[in-house]
Amino acid sequence: MTILNLFCLGLNHETAPVEVRERFSVPMEQIGARSRELKMLDGVSEAVVISTCNRMEVYVAADGDDLEHAERSVKDNLGVSEGDGAHFYERKSGDAMRHLCRVVSGLDSMVLGETEIFGQVKKAYQFALEATATGGVLNKIFQKSFGVGKRVRTETSIQNGQTSVGSVALDLAEKIFSDLRDSTVMVIGAGEMSRITVQSMVLRGVKKVYVTNRSFDKAVDLAAEVGGEAVKFDDWARVLSKVDVVISSTGATEPVVRVADIEVVRKKRRYRPLFMIDIAVPRDIEHEVGEIEEVYLYDLDALQRQVDEGQARRKAQVSECEKIIDIEVKKITNQ
Amino acid sequence: MMTLTLIVAAFLAGLAGVLGVRSVLGDGRHTRWTSVLMLGSFGFQLIWLGVRGELRGSCPLMDAGEILVFLAWSLTLFYLMVGAAYRVMLLGMFSAPLVMVMLLVAMLPGMLDVDPVRQEGVDYWGEMHSAISVLSYGAMALGAVSAVMLLILDRLLKSGELRSGLFRKMPPIHTIIGSVVRLTVIGVSFLSFGLGCGLMMGAMGGGHFWVALFVWLAYLLLLGVWFVRGMTPRRMSVFVVLLFVASLSVFAVL
Repeated sequence: MTILNLFCLGLNHETAPVEVRERFSVPMEQIGARSRELKMLDGVSEAVVISTCNRMEVYVAADGDDLEHAERSVKDNLGVSEGDGAHFYERKSGDAMRHLCRVVSGLDSMVLGETEIFGQVKKAYQFALEATATGGVLNKIFQKSFGVGKRVRTETSIQNGQTSVGSVALDLAEKIFSDLRDSTVMVIGAGEMSRITVQSMVLRGVKKVYVTNRSFDKAVDLAAEVGGEAVKFDDWARVLSKVDVVISSTGATEPVVRVADIEVVRKKRRYRPLFMIDIAVPRDIEHEVGEIEEVYLYDLDALQRQVDEGQARRKAQVSECEKIIDIEVKKITNQ
Repeated sequence: MMTLTLIVAAFLAGLAGVLGVRSVLGDGRHTRWTSVLMLGSFGFQLIWLGVRGELRGSCPLMDAGEILVFLAWSLTLFYLMVGAAYRVMLLGMFSAPLVMVMLLVAMLPGMLDVDPVRQEGVDYWGEMHSAISVLSYGAMALGAVSAVMLLILDRLLKSGELRSGLFRKMPPIHTIIGSVVRLTVIGVSFLSFGLGCGLMMGAMGGGHFWVALFVWLAYLLLLGVWFVRGMTPRRMSVFVVLLFVASLSVFAVL
């Protein structure tokens, strides 16, 4: 049996809406059993199921040359109706191998170049292997694809540059304070953007989080979620002297943080750096605050510019990645 | 032979600087070669100072060239200690060119006595004063180099210019200011000891004494303000650079 017997059937975030994706999604703990079930189908000799929030794919090595027959068996088993057909893509032989390499390398991901997919595919393969659903063909192409994924990541800059506002803010905070475990964060406005940004900082182990909001209940909720302390909205200026990072995202139409607020606490803060992230529109923090020596102020536009540049840098690397994949796929198809 | 030793030391420092710049502007990958080359340069500087000291029969700090080589050696010494210990490797890219320039200037005609006169009746307090004081200048020079790094990073962060390899390789503000303060404290400690030795040799009065005393007091005041009142990292860095440049006038009134 060779790579000529290989085919891939799948759907992802580009071909199918979430309601279709969730219908075909397979829980991680069932990946092995599901792969084994597909392997037992008529015309199928090996199978691996990959299922993440953005994709569900099945890699199958057909038993003999009749790929069509194996494909029909798999589709029937998955419950792919005629209406679902448009959401599925099919890849055969070398193209299936190339597709797997692109997936493992993060080239087919929603966030280009993301690394999580590598671990997810590896885990799915491991479950299938343990369930004895794989054999000579799939073992070979999966092992090869992991090697390609590693090569792509080490030889190109596909992972460089941040691709979300939260990760840019996190990187900048670490560029100022080095280790966030010694830093204190204050969140002004308990909206979704604040929550996402502060959560990424909590994951890096910030020392303390203060949350303030016009509606105190919301502040209490977010503080409980991130293990912080809620502060009354008319009291946030007092806390300012203790913090290193301010994340502001209120719905206010006038600036909430003014130059005078910072000037009052500068001496008490002993002029140490203050990183201010203003992700509100209209802005919460007076633009002139950024002119204070120890203040590093970034608004949504400034952060988004970094995100755009990060994404552009990654896109510019795609052709380099494709070259590596082409070389490796040719090697295996010529064997 | 002596000149060749200095040329090799300057070449190695220059090469370390080039590799550092290439690493930052190129793929941004970390290179250990900067430290290795600086270690090599340090070795050749040490050989030169050892032989020169033998010729002088005393600490080789008798002419402008010797002072520059000693200063370059001291700066390299602190770089190798601080750079490695506190992972401020990028210091190499900034300090290596400075070391190279110091060594090249030391080789200019008129900087080094062609026939160094052997000192008779060595004053040990005087020897200690010169050596320890120049050592303190090495620490303060490296502190000034770190301060320049901080000013560059501060500028990049303030202007949102975050794309360059230089920005990516820079250590965080917190790390750099820590190294600026630490090196300044080390420098001032050595300088205090050096001044004490100067007093023991009876060197009170005279332009050199008053300038040295002023430099020492100015550094003490700066550190006092930093530790007691607090100061922005940017302002501290500006003062460290300005004070180091001003303190070089000590050598002008030798």
